[in-house]
Amino acid sequence: MTETPHGTTGRGIVDRQALTDIIPLAIPAIPFGFIVGLAVTESAMPQWVAWLTAPLIFAGAAQLAMITLAGAASLWAVITAVLVINIRHVMYSAALAPTFRKQPRWMRRVGPFLLVDQTFALASLQTHRAPADFRRYYLTVAVTLYAVWNVVVPLGMLVGPVVPESWRLDLAPPIMFAGLTLLAIKKIPAAVAAMVGGFVSLATIDLRDRLGIAVGAIAGVIAGAIAEQIIERRACTARPRPPQEPLR
Amino acid sequence: MSTTAALVALACGAIGTYFARSGLILLLADRALPASVERALQNVGPAVLAALTINLAVGSRGLGEVEFIEVAALIVAGLVTVWRRNLIWTFVVGMATIWMLGALT
Repeated sequence: MTETPHGTTGRGIVDRQALTDIIPLAIPAIPFGFIVGLAVTESAMPQWVAWLTAPLIFAGAAQLAMITLAGAASLWAVITAVLVINIRHVMYSAALAPTFRKQPRWMRRVGPFLLVDQTFALASLQTHRAPADFRRYYLTVAVTLYAVWNVVVPLGMLVGPVVPESWRLDLAPPIMFAGLTLLAIKKIPAAVAAMVGGFVSLATIDLRDRLGIAVGAIAGVIAGAIAEQIIERRACTARPRPPQEPLR
Repeated sequence: MSTTAALVALACGAIGTYFARSGLILLLADRALPASVERALQNVGPAVLAALTINLAVGSRGLGEVEFIEVAALIVAGLVTVWRRNLIWTFVVGMATIWMLGALT
């Protein structure tokens, strides 16, 4: 990632540094968007509604969950899965709130619509910029990603019906979710959350309406929180205590 | 899924996602969440994604019906993800495993 001494990269609508920064993060989104497009063609949802998830929800994992669960799970299970997957965005919102406070009202309302993982990852490193510079950087990153996503998903939809069944692209979503899970693990508590979430989801696989996803997710989050506490306690006990003054 | 049900799912998903992204920016711009809540939120992503992976892989068929090539592809794709930290590799190697094992069996 490049950074200029003053955090600005010239005038204009587009921030060149943002364009440079977004390329390595946008490229991995291309095959994922393509898979979402393929999944749209095999979804139990009407295709045009499934396609609308790209411009309106704009969240790969949640879109894939909605598109693949439709028909297999109840309406409420589908909605719950989407909302639970996207709950991590609350954390992004919390982290960027102080920076957005200095933005005009239209930006505070429009900007968060485009707040996806990659946008957060890059924008959170640019909060030191002046409000106008930050806005240009954020919008360049976010609009570029939005454009890429909304080109790639329809491309996947066009190619989907031509792909033979023997290619087994129905197995692509779990593979992508497995990859996303592993990329989301940054610390031990997150690994514990993922393992417990996976095991509980497997143990509750027979629950109707794919409720096992929600049960697994809740169990995973609780396990992650417990792991966090245990690690914290161990760190506290391992820390050397300051020398005590002798009693007189 | 009927068109009405799909539209309801889409609307709820879109509105819910927007509020997840904008809620704290619009409402709590000058206040921070308790540290414990922020830490718990960090574990939501891995927990949900893992649960979804297993649920989608096993599906309604039951554990006994899961194909060998599917399990092998998930393991290989997982190892490649850890090694390369790149989803393009995950997809390419995962699908290549399925095609190669499919051709052999």
